[in-house]
Amino acid sequence: MKRRKTFIAVLLLALLIGAIPLMKPEESSAFSNQVIERGAFGDDVIELQARLQYLGFYHGKIDGKFGWGTYWALRNFQESYGLKVDGIAGPQTKKVLVNNSDFDREWVHAQINAGREFTYYGGIPLDQQVKKGKTGASKSKSYQLPAKFTERDLQLMANAVYGEARGEPYEGQVAVAAVILNRLESPDFPNTISEIIFQPGAFTAVADGQIWLTPNERAKQAVLDAMNGWDPSENALYYFNPKTATSKWIWTRPQIKQIGNHIFCY
Amino acid sequence: MKSLVYLLSIAVLALGVYAYEVRSDNQELKQTIHAQYTNSLSNASEKLSYLQRSVAQSLLFQDEKALQNELDNIWRTSNELRSSISNLPLNPDVANQWLRYLGKIGDEAKRAATEGDYESWQKKMTVVHQNLEKLTDEWTVATAQFFENDRNFDKWQQVAKADLEESPFKNIASNLKTYTEKDFPLTTSESDWLKKRDLKHIRDREITKDEAIKVLEKLVPGIKDATYTVSRSKEDAPYPFYHIQFVKGSRIGYADITVKGGHLISFLSERPVQPDKNVTQEKVKELTKQFIQRAGYDDLEIIEMQENHESWHVRLARVAGKHRAIVYPDGIQMKISKDSGELLGLNAMEYVQKENIKDQPVIPIDWKKFFRPNTIVEQERFIYTENEAYQLRLCYEVIARFKDDSNKTYRVVVDTENHDVIKVEQLP
Repeated sequence: MKRRKTFIAVLLLALLIGAIPLMKPEESSAFSNQVIERGAFGDDVIELQARLQYLGFYHGKIDGKFGWGTYWALRNFQESYGLKVDGIAGPQTKKVLVNNSDFDREWVHAQINAGREFTYYGGIPLDQQVKKGKTGASKSKSYQLPAKFTERDLQLMANAVYGEARGEPYEGQVAVAAVILNRLESPDFPNTISEIIFQPGAFTAVADGQIWLTPNERAKQAVLDAMNGWDPSENALYYFNPKTATSKWIWTRPQIKQIGNHIFCY
Repeated sequence: MKSLVYLLSIAVLALGVYAYEVRSDNQELKQTIHAQYTNSLSNASEKLSYLQRSVAQSLLFQDEKALQNELDNIWRTSNELRSSISNLPLNPDVANQWLRYLGKIGDEAKRAATEGDYESWQKKMTVVHQNLEKLTDEWTVATAQFFENDRNFDKWQQVAKADLEESPFKNIASNLKTYTEKDFPLTTSESDWLKKRDLKHIRDREITKDEAIKVLEKLVPGIKDATYTVSRSKEDAPYPFYHIQFVKGSRIGYADITVKGGHLISFLSERPVQPDKNVTQEKVKELTKQFIQRAGYDDLEIIEMQENHESWHVRLARVAGKHRAIVYPDGIQMKISKDSGELLGLNAMEYVQKENIKDQPVIPIDWKKFFRPNTIVEQERFIYTENEAYQLRLCYEVIARFKDDSNKTYRVVVDTENHDVIKVEQLP
């Protein structure tokens, strides 16, 4: 009788231990509870892209930006697995995706953080999926931008904004970025952001070398807002600091408003 | 004493070597810039002569192929010349006038080539070609001194710093202004576009500063009872507005509200945003819809959303007309924080003065014939957008992609009446 009790106790203990993995909370590599769709950005999108690539549906860069490439890949996956085809990663889609693919979060994030070019196809050893001897252009933060702008534009404009207006209020920094973009739209100025910034005499920061200072996050945010449509300068094409301006010509321009130390004008 | 003299001699020698090196570096730098400026000037002068010849030659032909060839040359050369001019340290007025005039010639050439409107081109260019000839002569005179082989970089520095009145380019600037106004007067569409940008059609009653603050607090209740500093736009501003700067807790920001009618045109609030991602994409959509309802912007539709590290940027545009078309020029943009869903920004500049929607024939397009067989048309909808001549046109907006693994996706905008392709862009 005692033996039987011991046996039952051992059996129960074994069952309990066996059930532990079932009770284990979801892996940290699994998606969050968010429903993600086109426009989303971040870790969930990185996982989505990696898993879709693992299964051979996604062939683009794993960058955490849910753009059109990810959208079509997701739709193709949904179609192949008999799911509702809507290009939205909801609970059901994520569950099927997780059940059918692997995701090595640590490895994928390590490649992204190191700025390496890599893929994440299933069935190929990971060390064969990293481009050797080549790192990406930068390890700096990545951003989602409106279609007509590139990360290079953002970087260059952030340099200009930081060099020209780092001591100004945020509004003033967005306004300086907006002036560059207003010039891009104007027939009186060159056709590219680079040509506008480096036009001789156009910006003091270029002349005194301050454009080469490393911009902070605030300057980048200011450029991002300007690229997304904000223009605190109200369509200005020029600005100047009335305390330091030496050009008589700039005082002849029609003025719009003053933000911090800068007067914005046409 | 001997040691002191010895030490001083060494110091003077070191200083001398240092000064010599700095001078050499500066000299080298000057020579590099001198060479670059001379190269740009030389390029600009050659291209100006070439452009002037091409414009004159385009008046020779009736033959479509020969004329198309010249128009292509003119469009390309005007672009290259713009680039050369923008690399020169000219007075802003001179540079701006040049860029505008050359841009107009290039645009006109492109338009004539696309539309086949050669008669109008030749009529306009009869005058332009004479003006270009005069400008080429004036340019040769004004720039002659820069080609003198005297290694004098100071001439460039003088030009870069000189006022227009003392500049050798003074006549050119004044002539360019006159020629641009006479040779390329503003079209009705361009004028309408400028009127919209300058909010010329707002006829509403003027509001006071206090009323402007009430408008802001109604739209953005989160900043109610903030500390405000209100100023008025400068006298030269094309439309008067209140510039409201506010501080509330950790929030600092501004709003511009028109004096006439109290329309909010721009609002931005800066505050520390937590990295937590508490607000889902669905919630952002919901908040956006709640906001546009509260603001009375009831004819808007979300057309694009973009998430970044701290916030969401949401683009909306008006839906109008019998085709329920999206009117892109009547859009608003919103910025919503990811940590709490707070409205951090609103830009309604384009929405304040809405476009007049005109009816336009809709001639169907067979997309199977329009695109190559390996292209899939995924979406098609009606939109209103401006063409290059600033005319508001009803268009098909097609989202198409290649039938391959790359999933490269394109937005193609085609005029519903004349089937002109107004825009093609690759989507991220």
